[in-house]
This record gives sequence, structure tokens and C-alpha cells, in this order.
Amino acid sequence: MRTRVAAALALVLVAGACSETTDDGPSADQQQRTATGVIATDPKDSLGPAPEVPGAAKGGTFTIIREVKISHLDPQRVYSFAGLMNAPLYARTLTTWKDDGKGNLTLVGDLAQTPGTNVNKDCKVWEFKVKDGVTFEDGRPITAKEIGYGIARSFDPDLTGGPTYVQEWLADTADYDTKWDFKANKTSLPPGLTTPDDKTVRFEFAKPHCDLPFALSLPASAPLPPDKDTGVNLDNQPFSSGPYKIAKHTPGVEIVLERNEHWDPATDPVRHQYPDKFVWTFGPDPDAGANRVIADSGPDQSALAFNGVPSALVSQVAGNATLKDRSIISPTPSAWRLTINTQRVTDLSVRQALNYAIDRDGFIKLIGGEAVASPITTLMPPATIGYKKYDAYPAGATGDPAKAKELLAGKTPELVLGVGDDNPERGTQLKANLEKAGFKITVKNIPADAKLDETKKKDNPWDLYLDSWAADWPSGASILPVLFDGRSIKAEGNSNTSYINDDAINAEFDRVLAMDPAAQAPEWAKLDERIMKELAPAVPMYVDVAYYVHGSKAGGVFISSVFGYPAFVNAFVKQ
Amino acid sequence: MGRFLIKRLLSAVLTLFAVSVLSFLMFFALPRDPVTGMCPKNCNPERLERVRQELGLRDPKVEQYVAYMKGIFVGRDLGSAQGGRCDAPCLGYSYVNSEAVTDTLARVLPVTLSIVIPAAVLWLALGVGLGMISALKRGTWVDRLAIGFSLTGASLQLYFTGAVLLIVFVYQLKILPTPHYTSIFDDPLDWARGLVLAWVALAFLFSAIYARLARAQMLETLSEDFVRTARAKGLVKRKVYGRHALRAAITPLVTIAGLDVGAALGGTVITETTFGIQGLGRTAVYAVRGGDLPMIMATVLISAVFVVLANVVVDLLYAAVDPRVRLG
Repeated sequence: MRTRVAAALALVLVAGACSETTDDGPSADQQQRTATGVIATDPKDSLGPAPEVPGAAKGGTFTIIREVKISHLDPQRVYSFAGLMNAPLYARTLTTWKDDGKGNLTLVGDLAQTPGTNVNKDCKVWEFKVKDGVTFEDGRPITAKEIGYGIARSFDPDLTGGPTYVQEWLADTADYDTKWDFKANKTSLPPGLTTPDDKTVRFEFAKPHCDLPFALSLPASAPLPPDKDTGVNLDNQPFSSGPYKIAKHTPGVEIVLERNEHWDPATDPVRHQYPDKFVWTFGPDPDAGANRVIADSGPDQSALAFNGVPSALVSQVAGNATLKDRSIISPTPSAWRLTINTQRVTDLSVRQALNYAIDRDGFIKLIGGEAVASPITTLMPPATIGYKKYDAYPAGATGDPAKAKELLAGKTPELVLGVGDDNPERGTQLKANLEKAGFKITVKNIPADAKLDETKKKDNPWDLYLDSWAADWPSGASILPVLFDGRSIKAEGNSNTSYINDDAINAEFDRVLAMDPAAQAPEWAKLDERIMKELAPAVPMYVDVAYYVHGSKAGGVFISSVFGYPAFVNAFVKQ
Repeated sequence: MGRFLIKRLLSAVLTLFAVSVLSFLMFFALPRDPVTGMCPKNCNPERLERVRQELGLRDPKVEQYVAYMKGIFVGRDLGSAQGGRCDAPCLGYSYVNSEAVTDTLARVLPVTLSIVIPAAVLWLALGVGLGMISALKRGTWVDRLAIGFSLTGASLQLYFTGAVLLIVFVYQLKILPTPHYTSIFDDPLDWARGLVLAWVALAFLFSAIYARLARAQMLETLSEDFVRTARAKGLVKRKVYGRHALRAAITPLVTIAGLDVGAALGGTVITETTFGIQGLGRTAVYAVRGGDLPMIMATVLISAVFVVLANVVVDLLYAAVDPRVRLG
């Protein structure tokens, strides 16, 4: 049995204990939180019960207020942040994260006894042993068969919206739904996925996929008995394997989750069952939701406003001692960059000059200040395991136009900046900033709803555009190759919106991806710096800062170190 | 009257047909592709194309339109990706809500009806009453107060009025709950408590307008010869003003009220957004944002039905109120 393996990781953790909160919002100290991560293989780490939360008590109704509905409840279709934070309440997965809310993460087995066995040490064959005592909401046991069926149904083309990692890896192609027809083969499993017995789930891949344990922490690996599969209608009434079950669902209005009496805490290393109910209530816009929680009246005393603290209310919340106590502030893994279309901006010195020229401080002030954003100079956000802080183009918080001009050597590059028409002021600020450094910027507004699709097209007409990326798990493997591997470039739907394609870097991606996940972390950090220094395909800008307020009786909520949104596995109502 | 009704109904059907075609064509002019909203981060264009085929979005537009209209009358099979068999009136499957459009409408329509109809009763009673009193007390402090009220109401935006009401009654005084919808059949008191602020906000805005209109109409009518004759013949003021003058003054107000109520029933987006209540208006907005064609078409059609019906009702009321008007 392998002993616990600790990855060699960056361990800088700047605590908020010494920081002050000013009327302008939380200070930068509270926003610099890096992640440490461990992949546990000792079965003890995957056992329940989860440690008791100090001060927690059973009972009450925990309310979560959000403006728009959660797009999907079907675990195989969950991929929005709200869905990812809600799903753990009713959907268990093969693996999951133990998260202390302070950046310390451990990947453990959830339905599985461990986070997986790399059978041949080549990341091509993985086995998971299912725990004893795990059950569905009707008391029937969860076995490998139901887990296999849950994964198999994600091949159903009707079930759109969810992540596609496991399907693509099993089918060894992005067109996985053409390789295996779920509807015609409901009693079997896709090639590569087997359940030799009731306790074993086995994956066999054509290529190494060392990130499988991470991918299986997503709800898409949740189990489902075939007789409970209602196809697209499962979205309205999923079948629970977690501590809560869906008691009532009125789309767009509310979701009521009640205790699942068949959930056994002894099998669960992460979750609790403190509140009697969780209620998602949809409709109030962000201001109304935050105001309700600030007013702290009636049921809203045990509520959280999921849309966060709007910028208009930041000074009120931050300047009030009582509300500060009811606030949660944390950096998120959502990282923004000014992407440079390297097909059009081919001169490396121009791309480097952009990095020197950028005034991050000015841009962050424009979008709301420290309460909403924290500057970064790296491609990976600090919340990535193995993150190492560096600045490839040290220019200070407000940029160094002189240094940029020096690199441009008298040239005046004319660049087209594409900006969503819902935030034209960003274009104005960037234009003014970059023109001080010798660039000539033309701002083009792109319809906000279409911007993402348009910039993902290979032949888009812009040189610069703002992009964000939030990884599905805090590993460089789900960031750097996704965003900068040129072999994935296609006509549309690209994530590599810099359209960079460097053979040496691509080879590095292959080398690191084939390594044991625990050993990958420091390599990604080195690669991050190398990409920025050698290619400068983007200008890193900032990470989003999560700023939430909850009622006086709401406890146990923390910001997920994986997704940067409120996690409810420890939530309770103060009695 | 019978001939009038038949003519109006035929005209209504033609209007709704034109609206359905226009809204259908308009959808394809939107820059947003609805299918990409269903697509996760690492989107595969080939898979997207297969989803488009499955949803029938690659069929000829005429075929798509015919299938949609056919579904309204006889139902249709939408395929497993959209819930399978959809019985008449089938308005399609909502990509955003993952349910049949009719299910969504069955839920949100009562909400909008519950906001608009009581608010309309309130604003008509308040507006017309205030306008009448203002006209009768012309030049007095009552008249000036009423004008001030109507100017204020007409100037303030609903989202501002609504926000003030929320701050005062919900967050500060805490005498009303957060606005919400409960069915009147489940709990009439909670229904009223949950929506009263929306009624007041909407009524404040509209009654201000109606007060001005009613005042102007009343003043004009009061200067008519028949009013002077009625007074000269010795009729009491109450009968002259309440029965004769008001009836003459009210006919243009009936027209405007009908159109306003019809339009409001199509979705009071700002009211619903201000108070965080999911009605037809917000549903329509989300549908546009999400490129949800079936929902867009359904909400546009329903709004058009309300406006068209309101026009018919107004015409009938006109004849009932003013005997000089003959329908034919």
C-alpha cells in the first residue's frame, strides 16, 4: 500500500489575520491565497465521518439566494459554478476534494476507497474500489454497476452541457458520441470502461491520463441506477446519492433539498448533514439578494447571497463591523488575461512590450477595485497547486511605458482591441493605457453574448481581447495545455485563443502530462514562466475575488479552493 | 355585434399569424447561436453541429415554422433531447429551462396576471378617482396636490419607486416579507402580502398618468352643454358628475386602459426584476439572452394575444359605455 504522497509544492500562504479592512473594501492581503494540494492514497484519508465543524448544530433551513436558476441538476450535465457547488449535496462522485477553505486541498476517495490506483504506473489503466455502505436515497446500495452506468450515460448526445473529459479519454477522440452509441447500448459500457465486479470500476485508455482522479471529482462520475434514468427529465429530479435529496423543484423559482435518511456519514470524508433543509431561491437580482441578507430578517438570517456583494454595496458591507463578520472574502481560480492573437501579433518584442505597458492597477480600479480583483503576473492563478509567483516583465502596478517604448524601438504597432459591448469602458481604459506606451489601439465593440464564440474562432479579426479561465481542478494540467497547446487549434470553439503553437512547448506539455500527478505541480510552475518569457502569448491581468455576505445565523460556508464559489458541505444554521 | 366580433377575431388571427412569422424570423437574425449555450468549455464544433441537427435547427426555416405551428394545434414529437412527445398546445421545449414551454408558461403566467390585474384595478380606481376630484376641485389645494402627485408618479422610474418601497417596508421596518408569489388559491393572504409592493409601485406610476388624463377629460366634459343643461334642470351634482359627465369622460380612458393592461400582461419586466419575481416578462428576457427560440416565440405570441384581445375588449366596452358608438 502506498503511503501518503505529498507533492512538492509552493506553500506560501498569506493569512488574513494581520490584515485590515478599509472602507474601500478588503485589502490585498486577504486576497493572496495560494493552494497546497495532496493526493491521498491512504484509505484512512477517504473514510468518514468528516470532522465536526466547530459550533455547528443540526436543524434549520439554510437558504441560498441567486438571481438565475441553476442550469442543470442532472449530475452528468452539471458544469456551471452554482451547479458544481450544489451537486455535492445530492451527488457523490468517485473522488472528491477535502478542502479546508484556506487553500489546503486533499483529493480523496468519495464513493471510492482511494483516489484511484494507477495500475501499471503509466496512467493508462486506473482502478477504483467502491466503498461498502454507500447507498442511494431509496436505500439501495451503490455498486460499480451504477457508477459505470452514470459515466456511460454521459455519452448520450441528449445530455448536453456537462464536462467531456472522461468520455473523450475513453473514446480517444473529441467526437466520443460517434464512437459509442449510448442509446443503442444501454445495457453495456463504453469501450475502456469495465466493472469486473460490484466493487471495481476500471478505466483503460489508449493514452496516459494522469488527471483522471481529478476529473472524477466532477459530478459527471455520480452514480445512477438505470431504472431511475429519465433522460433529459432527470434535470428536474435527480436521484440522490448524497446527504440531501431533491424534495421539490420549481424551475426558476426554488429548489428544496431535504435530508436523505439513507446517507451514512461514516462513508463520507467530506460532507455533513447539519441543516434540515437547503433551499435555493431564485429571482432577486444581486442588489436585492445582498440587501435581503444584509437586512438579516426572518429566514434570511440563515441565508447566503450567492451573487456576491455588488460593487455598490462593498463600502457599506466593508465599513460595518457587524457585516464584516458576516462576510467571506477569498481569491478565486478565475484568472483574467489580455489575450494576444499571436497569428496577427507575430513580433515577440511587441507582445513583451504589451506586458511592460499594462497598468493593472488602473484596470482593477475601473472594474471595482480590490474588492473584486487581485492582480497577477502569471498565467496560472495562485489557487493552482504548485503555483509559483514570478513576474516575467516587472513593470510595477501601473506599468512601465518607457520600458515598453524601448522594446518597440520607435515602432507604433497598430492593434485592434475587441471588447464586449457590455463593458465598453474597459476598452477605453486599455486604449488610453497602451497608447501611452507607444501603441495605436483601435477599439472594436463585440456583442457581449457573441464575444466568447467569436474570439474562439481561429480567423477572428482582433489582435487583443480579454479572456478568463477557471480550471476544473487546481492543476496546471487543466490550464496550460488547454490554453496554449497549438495542436488543439481548430476552426472554431478554441480555448487556445492566443493561437500559439510552439513545438518545444507542446512537447513539454506531453512530457509533464505523462508524469505522476503529484510530480507535475512544480513542472507546471516552471512551464508557466517559460511560456511567458519565451512566447508572451498574453498579458496576465487579475483573478476574481469572491466577496459574499451571509445572514447572522448562517455558518460553515467557505469559499471552495477549487472553484472559488461558496461551498455548502459544512454549512449549518446557528440555533 | 356578431358580425363585428367575427371580423375582429379574424383580424386578430391574421395579426397573430404575422407576429408569429416575424418573431420566428427575428430569432435567426440574433447573433447568438442557442446551441453554443448548451456546450461546455472545451467545445467541439462537430458535436455542436450534431446537436443542431438533433434539435432540427438545420431544417429549412419554413419546415421549422410549420412544425412549430402544427404543434400548437395537434402536438408533435420533439425527440428524446427535448422530452419526447409534446401534446397540444405544444409550444416546444425550452433549452434554458429544460422543460416544455407550456410547463414554464403555466407557472409564470399566473404570476404576471397576479401582478398586473390587481395593480390595474388599483391604478384605475386611484387615477380616475384622483383625476375626477382634481377636476371638480380645480384651482384648489386638492387640485394642486393631485397634480403634484401625478407629476411625481410620472417622473419617478419604477425601479426607483420599487427600491424605496423595498428598503422601507421590507428591509427597515420589516413589516412585509420579501416579495414573492404564492397562488391565491393556496393562501390569499400570503398572495397579497407577497405582491402588494409590486401593485403599489405599478399603480403609483400608472395612476399618476391616469389622474392627469382623467382630469383633462373631465374638465373638457364639464364644459359641455349637456352638463350645464343637466345642472340647470336641477339634477344633483353627484348624478351630473358621477353618472353623466364621468361616463362621457371615461371613454378615451377605457381605450388607453385596455391597451395598457394588455401590454402589461405581456410582461412587466421592470416590475418583476425590481421585486425579484419570476413572471412572463423576466422569462422572456432570459429566453432572449439564452437564444431559447421556443420560449421567445411563445412569450411573443402570448403578449400579442393579450394586446389583441385587449383591443377587442376595449372596442366592446366602448360601445357599452358610449351609446353613440355602433359596432358593425
